[in-house]
Amino acid sequence: MGLLALGTPLEWPEAKKVAGQVRSWGIEQLLAIWQNAKGKERDALLWGDEIEYLVVCYDEENRKVRLSLRQADILEALANDEKLIAEGGGVPEVQRGPVKEAEITAPVFHPEFGRFMLEATPGKPWGIGFKDLLSVEPDMKWRRTIAKDHMAKEEYPITLTTFPRLGSPDCIVPSYPVSGPKLRSQFVPDEIANPHIRFPTLAANIRWRRGRKVELNVPIFKDEKTQWPFKDPTVNYDLHQWPEDDDVRNGAAKENHIYMDAMAFGMGSCCLQITFQAKNIEEGRKMYDQLSPLGPILLALTAATPIYKGFLADTDVRWNQISRAVDDRTPEELGEKPLEHDRWRLPKSRYASNSTYISQDARLRPEYLDPDLVIDKDIKQRLIDGGMDDLLATHFAHLFIRDPIVVFAEDLQDLDLSKADHFENLQSTNWQHMRFKPPPPGSDMGWRVEFRPMEIQITDFENAAFSIFIVLITRAILSFNLNFYIPIARVSENMETAHVRDAVSTQKFWFRKDPFSSHSRSSGTGTSTPAETSRPATPSGPVEDEYEQMTINEVINGQTSSSSSSSNFPGLIPLVESYLNSMNVDVETRCELARYLDLIRKRADGTYWTAAKWVREFVKGHEKYQGDSVVGDDICYDLVKAAERITKNEGRDGLGKEMLGRRR
Amino acid sequence: MKLILSTSNIMSGGPSVIRRHIFEKSNIELTSSLLANCTAHQSTPPISNTTNGTLPSKPSYKSWTTQQDSALWIPTHIASPLVEPREAYDITVKLFYLPNIPADRRCVQTREAIDLVLKELGASSIDLLIVSFPGMSFDADDEESDLDDPPSAPMSENDNEADAGDGAPEDIDTMLTTWRTLETLHSEGLVSKLGIAEFNVTKLEKFLSQTKVKPSVNQINVRDCCVVPKPLILYAKQQQIELLTHNDCTNVLPPGTLREILGSGDKGVGVLAREGETGDGVEKLKGDVEPQWVVKYTAVVKDRGVVESKGYFAVAELRD
Repeated sequence: MGLLALGTPLEWPEAKKVAGQVRSWGIEQLLAIWQNAKGKERDALLWGDEIEYLVVCYDEENRKVRLSLRQADILEALANDEKLIAEGGGVPEVQRGPVKEAEITAPVFHPEFGRFMLEATPGKPWGIGFKDLLSVEPDMKWRRTIAKDHMAKEEYPITLTTFPRLGSPDCIVPSYPVSGPKLRSQFVPDEIANPHIRFPTLAANIRWRRGRKVELNVPIFKDEKTQWPFKDPTVNYDLHQWPEDDDVRNGAAKENHIYMDAMAFGMGSCCLQITFQAKNIEEGRKMYDQLSPLGPILLALTAATPIYKGFLADTDVRWNQISRAVDDRTPEELGEKPLEHDRWRLPKSRYASNSTYISQDARLRPEYLDPDLVIDKDIKQRLIDGGMDDLLATHFAHLFIRDPIVVFAEDLQDLDLSKADHFENLQSTNWQHMRFKPPPPGSDMGWRVEFRPMEIQITDFENAAFSIFIVLITRAILSFNLNFYIPIARVSENMETAHVRDAVSTQKFWFRKDPFSSHSRSSGTGTSTPAETSRPATPSGPVEDEYEQMTINEVINGQTSSSSSSSNFPGLIPLVESYLNSMNVDVETRCELARYLDLIRKRADGTYWTAAKWVREFVKGHEKYQGDSVVGDDICYDLVKAAERITKNEGRDGLGKEMLGRRR
Repeated sequence: MKLILSTSNIMSGGPSVIRRHIFEKSNIELTSSLLANCTAHQSTPPISNTTNGTLPSKPSYKSWTTQQDSALWIPTHIASPLVEPREAYDITVKLFYLPNIPADRRCVQTREAIDLVLKELGASSIDLLIVSFPGMSFDADDEESDLDDPPSAPMSENDNEADAGDGAPEDIDTMLTTWRTLETLHSEGLVSKLGIAEFNVTKLEKFLSQTKVKPSVNQINVRDCCVVPKPLILYAKQQQIELLTHNDCTNVLPPGTLREILGSGDKGVGVLAREGETGDGVEKLKGDVEPQWVVKYTAVVKDRGVVESKGYFAVAELRD
């Protein structure tokens, strides 16, 4: 999350008045960018990963661990590290060194929404050179070392998706009182958020637009001694500081659920995000579509979020919590009240799974699209008048159904078509599981696609493994011209399925049976062979026949050929292996890649546990655990310590071996 | 008569037969894609219904192959040149010399193979030419582990033949004679780098001492890539030879396999008549097929890591 310019943010009632203007200027900026960049060709594959950390602070004497709110100090220390700057690293928002052309560039660090978070990215993007792939894991480790070196000795950067006791009493340091004016949360103080004016404004205006606080209800995991029905005992029904304190008295906290009431509970989660540069806009659109059905699969496979606010949850991943944490929909948009003032009903939060496909691909059947997709028709018309094709115009006209949340008064003076600020205002506050990113104006960057569903993993070995796996998948998709299309509604359904506890081994996901194309390559790459063009087009049967429910193991490792059906899904790992077999890969690289692919293979087949399962088992096996779903301070302390130890030893000392195997 | 079999580009829109086998050893990839390419060129798909025991009659081979000079193209072949400028690609060619074929033919064969690939890709040079000498395998365990692999259709009965029966590796001098041809191609600028496959340290030492152009690459089977002996790694590094992985089997095209592909059995494409077959009205060729060589080519867009084109040519002699 990059920092936008400082200025005077409008409060929601003011921002609302100019929403139409911001949208319309954003669309003009988009058209200018698109006109400029639609012909960009032959950009190299460049890609980058983002690692997000929680900064924890140990209180050894009292066996407590808290979140440290020293993000700003740590970033300042990083930005003032001369050696780091000399090596090209630093904090881009403050100061960083020059990117080295032919040599190693030090990593860079960024602020995040949570004031207890830190984000680190490589100093320059990775390429597809296989040697580059081998640099990813050491670079991730280097990032963590640098981060740690700029922290206090009792602090440590861990990569758990969420802090197990965020929102419990005494969970942050320094301590601040809850119930501040911006978040109005009864669990976390306003100081939990990055103090840059953009962030508190974002939180406040989402709440304001919504007309009440955000509501996160996560089903509680029912253990032997869990009080039942479960009524979240931490909810305070007697607060009378803000009008929003009525929320809980109006039933915001649901029975048998863990209740949370602030953006920090969602946006304070750590993710593993990968961004790819495509060779041109067409390849970008194709990658966007083809990676989209993989989102829920990778979400379930990276599951790492079994605890919220000191309770074991009955879900394994963070996704829906973030979705609800930034859900700015009004009661009318939610369908709770008749439509009077608002423009439409909105089935999804602005943080949600993808809602449409965008590739001009002969294989994209109209049946895959959502017939009820909400779009702003005027905006779509403007884009089409500007020359954009229907599919892409539909995509942006869908993103632009939202209001801009943070508007700076200074930006409303003149429309600057050489900038992207108004476009980005909407684009960057639409958090779908993929993001299609036009080149920033004035840069030589190409069209990019961001893959956003994965949960952060405890070790850098795992984070490197999943990053590289996704990179290799994209290469296999483009090389074999793979087809993963299923109806977009099924992708959304899969996203829900991915939340189920232990979905990786208990659930089935809709997935396309035959990933090989029945049509020749789309024009542009133009390598269709005579055999393909002379073959009659395969008649398309019912869409429902194209996909079925598969386990994660089947999607990743392939369906066994025991069934008589000839179209067994080959599996993502075999597809990647097949791609690698077509490439010149040196033995050392192949061996390293095999370690990564082996981890993913075994996560999928159940040999190794997800972090979510491991954390659950850790809690259940802890001597202080009472069998009542409560994750107390002692357990939290030992769990975070264990996560740190696993980060360092990666299972070599036996701790975490259920997740990682016995590493050499 | 010379038979030139081709797969076309096997990367995109893989025909149905490839689907199950694309992930197996290169031999399966080769045989399935040869079959599939022929099938695609026949107007009616032949392998459709074998349950009732009767085979649908296949179209005459003449309708989907092309006779050109003394060679028969199976199937009819049209080149599909690369789209982007030549410098965008890394073109790797692996030439498999087959067992029991006299080594003195290799000079001509090598030129012929390079020529086919260059025409196919519309290029004037290749980046890396790897040659695979018959009977070479990286170590003795290799063959055993091969046999442990579950046999896989459709060429199951030939699977063992693919790995066994390929004769003993030839001596270094024979290989060096072949290498002179490659060195010439290198000096002509047709090939930028040369490579070999499955050489251990002993063989490498003997070989290198007598080469003018050193191999830049030594390919090792992917199964063994995590147990490459340290001495080889060190020696290769010292000699600046890159150790690359592959998943090809040693003898990619045994005569029996080719006979089956071209033959009139249920897995064949019906070019060759069965032993003693008088013909069911459809014209067929007769005689013994002798595979001469196989070449695999791969064109990768360098800075994107995308395999744009990959395929095989296999050349055989048909003798009465």
